[in-house]
Amino acid sequence: MTFVDLLMLGFSEAITPANLAFCLLGALLGTLIGVLPGIGPTATIAVLLPITFFLPPLAGIIMLAGIYYGAQYGGSTTAVLVNLPGEASAVVTTLDGYQMARQGRAGAALAVAALGSFFAGTVATFAIALAGPTLSRFALNFGPAEYVSLMVFGLLAATILASGPVLKAIGMILIGLLLGMVGTDQATGAERLTFGAIELFDGIDFIVIAIGIFGFSEIIANLERTGSEGVKLAPLSRLWPTRQDFRDSWGAVLRGTGLGTLLGLLPGGGATLASFSAYSLEKKVSKHPERFGTGVVEGVAAPEAANNAAAQSSFIPLLTLGIPSNNMMAMMLSAFMIHGITPGPTVLTNQPEIFWGLVASMWIGNLLLVVINLPMIGLWVNLLTVPYRLLYPAILLFCCIGVYSMSNRIFDVVLAAGFGLLGYAFRKAKCEPGPLLLGFVLGPLLESNLRRTLLITQGDPTIFVERPISLAMLVATVLLLALMILPSFRRTREEAFQEEEV
Amino acid sequence: MTITKTAALAAILSAAATGAALADWPTDRPIEMIVAFAPGGGTDIMLRTLAPFLEAELDTQFPVLNRPGASGEIAYTALSQARPDGYTVSSLNRPGFLTMQIGRKLRYDPAEICPIARIVEDPGTFIVQAGSPYKSLADLVAFAKENPGAVSVGTTGVGTDEHLAMLQLEQAAGIDLTAVPFGGANEAKTALLGGHVAMIGLNVGEYTQSDHDAFRALAQFSEARSTLAPDLATAWEQGFDVLMSSERGLAARCDVPEEVRAKLAAAVDTALANPEFQDKARQQALPLAYKSGTDWQADMPVRLARYTEIFKLIEGGQ
Repeated sequence: MTFVDLLMLGFSEAITPANLAFCLLGALLGTLIGVLPGIGPTATIAVLLPITFFLPPLAGIIMLAGIYYGAQYGGSTTAVLVNLPGEASAVVTTLDGYQMARQGRAGAALAVAALGSFFAGTVATFAIALAGPTLSRFALNFGPAEYVSLMVFGLLAATILASGPVLKAIGMILIGLLLGMVGTDQATGAERLTFGAIELFDGIDFIVIAIGIFGFSEIIANLERTGSEGVKLAPLSRLWPTRQDFRDSWGAVLRGTGLGTLLGLLPGGGATLASFSAYSLEKKVSKHPERFGTGVVEGVAAPEAANNAAAQSSFIPLLTLGIPSNNMMAMMLSAFMIHGITPGPTVLTNQPEIFWGLVASMWIGNLLLVVINLPMIGLWVNLLTVPYRLLYPAILLFCCIGVYSMSNRIFDVVLAAGFGLLGYAFRKAKCEPGPLLLGFVLGPLLESNLRRTLLITQGDPTIFVERPISLAMLVATVLLLALMILPSFRRTREEAFQEEEV
Repeated sequence: MTITKTAALAAILSAAATGAALADWPTDRPIEMIVAFAPGGGTDIMLRTLAPFLEAELDTQFPVLNRPGASGEIAYTALSQARPDGYTVSSLNRPGFLTMQIGRKLRYDPAEICPIARIVEDPGTFIVQAGSPYKSLADLVAFAKENPGAVSVGTTGVGTDEHLAMLQLEQAAGIDLTAVPFGGANEAKTALLGGHVAMIGLNVGEYTQSDHDAFRALAQFSEARSTLAPDLATAWEQGFDVLMSSERGLAARCDVPEEVRAKLAAAVDTALANPEFQDKARQQALPLAYKSGTDWQADMPVRLARYTEIFKLIEGGQ
């Protein structure tokens, strides 16, 4: 089948009434949680993950993907109108977006954000469509040895890209690796860290950790704030940007899209990192960097394009190699696994409708989001007045039902609650939990692939440097390590994350 | 004193309850069907397909309750803790039910669980790439004799069906293979496609649903050829003593009254003979292979001894 045939297959799958409905549902939910500060896509997807089991595989994944990129659209609304980031990746949008709103240009800021996101989403969708088949041909050459080297590189990259001190990120990864070891050892059948609990024989379920650390702890953390703080809405005016706005922003959108697509591919990368980087890049290339923060349209266009591009391109490593590059993709991996589908090259050849249906649905979803977000903006803004005392108990209930229904065990709910407290402690200690989740997912993969490699070669480790892909990954790892130790790089890294502290 | 009295009272009451339940069985309340695996797995699909037919047969309801984990131990423990009144049944999987009895401290007594009937038998198989030089088990054995340890076999972990089949082949043919554990059948298939392992173990059911242009099966490890793969020779036919099938059925506590267990077995038997059920089973690619609970039970000690022997090979550092 040619590229066009496959894309047509994808559209025919994505456009069936059921799949279209789930795409719309995902986009709506994504916008909803994007608009509401405090509830992020990670927590939402964690909560909905067990429910997708009851949907056909493609519909479930389409919906979850819609939530992720939908949240990127919704987050900008709150950022511009209320000066609160609806989403972590919209933090930088508040800098110029809210200033624009105060100058009476809220409509222009929102439109540029939505159109920029749409453009970026379209480009990223095509990037997936092109990269998928190419990379997956190459993926069959990916044996256990290559996976080991890639995993080592990924875990190291995740520590660099996490915000906060490197040492904390490494600590979180190590905790994640430790949690990943719980259960019956695949290669010897020995019990590890189960403390005799039969419920831990198969390890800790990903959903338990995800809901605990992201869902529960997010609610605890939000309870600290005073209820629904009287949000001050900036007035919403003329929706369409001026010709000058378009002239100013198209370059920023292009750069944001390019940077976002690339950063989404990196292990540990994703929407948040992309929007911060795109903002810094815009400031660097701008002729008037001093005006950033006072309401320049590039300051909205670039990060919004970048976060949406990255949200989508981070699907590439997952769909082609089966490796989740960030915690959001780890959830997606779990959504595939629930249906017995292991993402990777075999899915592309054996179930092309899943891959191409998802790709096509992303483009349709982006189109839907422009419609959902621009004309209906007033509706979303009203949502900000829903009191959290009603919202949180409902979310908590869904979390518990979700965790319980996986294996019909109260043990898992208690375990998730424990992880909720742990996650809250991490927040207090300013430790980002993302690397933990990545360590938890990648750790067992790293371990089993290392064992496989050495079993196949009968104990000879030279295979890691003999195979070219593996060697390249290891060289990249060493370079990354060297960079981390260089003082000048450490300073730049700290600067890059400085704006986040605001 | 009071404690003894209460205990005696409780005993009388529960005895009365059991008696009453027996008379009405099974129409007065639903029969809980515990499935030891997650929804969507082979065992789950089998029992969910069967449940409506049992419901029609016995005029009651069979709600399915998934209790996955610890390769079935959680479900068997739940079954052994249920009241022996015939209102709780569970899935039973062999060899898992037997292999967990070897060198593992269980939280239930396997002797308390009696099979009602075997419903499905899905034989194990070894598959290679379609372009592989091995066309039969003999080809593979010949190569492995020349090159000990060079043939890598993808399994889903130590003590799993595929691993036990591999160990039997090693013993039967006097060869040395290398087991490489994978997270699941899909991962192993990808590794086989990429040429990272020479051969992988699967079930015939999984093999028939995969791409036949990419893979070739070498043998099936059942006593007789499965209805799913009538053209594939068994290992016995090829002269190697390898027996490994995933057998799935239904079980209850042994102290459930004899006539209740007999009624359950008869209902399963009737359902399996129903053409409508057979049609559904074909759609789900379920290789039906009925065996009565008594026959299946009689067969258990021999198999257990056989698996215990094989497990000694693992401990021996194979």
